[in-house]
Amino acid sequence: MLRMLIRRLALGAITVFLVSLIIFAGVEILPGDACTAFLEREAQGQLLENCRQELGLNRPATERYLEWAAGAVTGDLGVSANGQKQITELVGYRLRNTLLLASCAMLAGIPLALFLGVVAALWRDRMVDLTISTIAIGAMTIPEFVSATLLILIFSVWLGWIPGIVLTSANAPISEFFPEIFLPMMVLTFVMTAHILRTVRSSVIEAMASDYAQMATLKGVPYWRIVFRHVLPNALLPAINVVALTIAWLLGGVVVIETVFNYPGLGRMMIDSISDRDLPVTQAIALIIASVYVGVNLAADLLTMIANPRLRTLHMRKG
Amino acid sequence: MKRLLASACVAALALTGTALAEPKGTFRQAHEYGFGDQSSLDPISKGRIFQITEKLMSRLVRPDMEGKPSPDLATSWEANEDATVWTLTLREGVKFHDGSDFDAADVVYSLNRVLDPDGDSPARSAVKMITGVEAVDPMTVKLTLDTPFADMPLQLMDYRLRMIPDGSGDTIATTGIGTGPFKLEKFDPQGTTVVVANTDYFEGPPGVERMEIIGIPDAQARLQALLGGQIDMESGITPQQRVMFDGSDKFYIQEVPTGNWRGIVFRTDVEPFSDPRVRKAMRMAADRDGLLALVEGGNGTVACDTPVGPADQYRADLSCPQDIEGAKALLAEAGFPDGIDVDVHVATLEATWPAMAEAYQAQAAEAGIRVNIVQVPTDGFWSEVWMKKDAVMTRWNERPADQALHEIYLSTAKWNESYYKDDGFDAMLAEARRELDFDKRRAIYVKAQEHLQETAGTLIPYHVTKLIGATSRVKNLDPVENMSIRWYKITVDE
Repeated sequence: MLRMLIRRLALGAITVFLVSLIIFAGVEILPGDACTAFLEREAQGQLLENCRQELGLNRPATERYLEWAAGAVTGDLGVSANGQKQITELVGYRLRNTLLLASCAMLAGIPLALFLGVVAALWRDRMVDLTISTIAIGAMTIPEFVSATLLILIFSVWLGWIPGIVLTSANAPISEFFPEIFLPMMVLTFVMTAHILRTVRSSVIEAMASDYAQMATLKGVPYWRIVFRHVLPNALLPAINVVALTIAWLLGGVVVIETVFNYPGLGRMMIDSISDRDLPVTQAIALIIASVYVGVNLAADLLTMIANPRLRTLHMRKG
Repeated sequence: MKRLLASACVAALALTGTALAEPKGTFRQAHEYGFGDQSSLDPISKGRIFQITEKLMSRLVRPDMEGKPSPDLATSWEANEDATVWTLTLREGVKFHDGSDFDAADVVYSLNRVLDPDGDSPARSAVKMITGVEAVDPMTVKLTLDTPFADMPLQLMDYRLRMIPDGSGDTIATTGIGTGPFKLEKFDPQGTTVVVANTDYFEGPPGVERMEIIGIPDAQARLQALLGGQIDMESGITPQQRVMFDGSDKFYIQEVPTGNWRGIVFRTDVEPFSDPRVRKAMRMAADRDGLLALVEGGNGTVACDTPVGPADQYRADLSCPQDIEGAKALLAEAGFPDGIDVDVHVATLEATWPAMAEAYQAQAAEAGIRVNIVQVPTDGFWSEVWMKKDAVMTRWNERPADQALHEIYLSTAKWNESYYKDDGFDAMLAEARRELDFDKRRAIYVKAQEHLQETAGTLIPYHVTKLIGATSRVKNLDPVENMSIRWYKITVDE
């Protein structure tokens, strides 16, 4: 188990390294740089030269990458090209805001998805299942920017209940994000619930059809006891991985949602930094998102292993 | 000849114009957060957020509702015989937000900051003819120019040329201290910036007690915020979005004709555009009414390749119907009886460029001009494509006539995008600047524009009319270009 953990961590580090390399190369290949993006029409001659000199953009790309990487390893993400501020400071609040939005959506979405998934599976092919499944497919297929815009139209423009656009600045106290956070949270909950509940539904159906469930039925075990004691513990294991992927997606900063709602999180910062050609900031955010993906997936695998009796016998005793 | 403006009428205007009621209510507006972390309250820096600085600081001269120079911090101005020295009389008794008195030293400091070549200020181009700024006495400033310039006051109206306290250059980016109708309470470029009424404002207390200027980078999000009543005014409404406001009693739309234009520029220093006949044919083939209707939904004023806006006092009254036969004849005369092929470079940097290029492509095809649209990335457009390729899309924002003609067509101009070199034209511009009689000066500027219609390499089909959406609680919003709006007049219903 420990050896596996170390191996996975090493693989994760390599993944993060590769991601940073690809992002750096990607932004480098794009035409223009931080200076042409900022100066626009004035990006010519001496002004452009001065700007590049100031930001150190006239040095070779490999040299800049190595310098950045050396800093990143020691936890120093450098300064932003646009504005010369400490990135750790800039990213901190954005990360917090993304975490806030993600946890709100998860708190609402995960219990809801588990509940609806199980209900849909147990009343399979009945009216309730058909309704839930149809809505879920709808939620998965309608693009987020469409559902987001529709929700703004209904709740903010027509009914006027909730503000449509988040106007709070990135470093405001958490309490100021309410009630503006409700609409983006609703859209995210909508999408993630759909994804998770479909997995839960199919794995519950599978478990209900399994030999041990049928055996229990034949033995005369009461229906709800079969569901809670035998089916759910087994059926919910595969859901852990889907939940993990969803969490990673949420923490990575949901770019489209954050842009539509003007939410000051990591996703919008990523977009802004790419359009400003602010390579250090783009790199820092990519690094965070990649680490989150690697970390959450690792945690999910460990959790599955701990929860799975077939894998935990060697190292842990059954309680 | 001397030009004098009495300050008495200004004082009268100030007394009658402003309601003496207490400022009340909050007016909210968005800005694009276009300069990210370089956002600044320094009015002459590249990162200035003009939506904030225009409320905090005053200019020496500002445009009146007709766009003509009217007193702001300078109450009157006059030129010497040949318009090379201008003397400005300043307004008495004005105080900065920090309590200090406004006087000539502040003007000298503010203008010299703009003129400093090391300062890299984009505003320098508007006033670079000034070679000396001198305080004659505490309420008089003398400007010395390197060229006769009869319309100097027009240049001083530039929206960036705002007066700041003497010596405040290092701190102005965050303090925003000026003499304007509003004082800074909180500067937060990516969130909500708050300015509050300056009850000591020299035109009287402003109408609203508080203005919030909120950073919303995404245009769609700004529109949603307006529709949802989170902001009170938004200026970038497109003709397509207009339907959402028409017929609603919660909003109103103001149409403001501007001097902003989008067009196609052909380099006059390369084949085949080096032949003026080819350039003229390219421009004659355009159906400007058609382009305006197709691209802007008719929101604009047709221009006959003049960069001078429809509201400008020097705008020439020209006519330019589409002339396919004339274009064909000119091309044949220039040695292209079978027409020509042109690669026009188009990016999506300006949302209306692709539509304009395609509409022009269809129109010009009739005259045997085969336009091939080359798509180029928005990134690096200004540095890699514009002024490099032979035919590209372009756009310019409103400038006073003299400045527009100089910056775009003078043979030595840095942004002479068509590489237009015409000694006769250059001479006309110099002559106009020397001419102190308005009617004569106007005649020269008109001649210069007519000359452009004959020879220029720039197709300017129309000037855009801007649509400004506002919530109906906003009153007294001047229906004029942003730089002329009197923000202290605005009131809001509770």
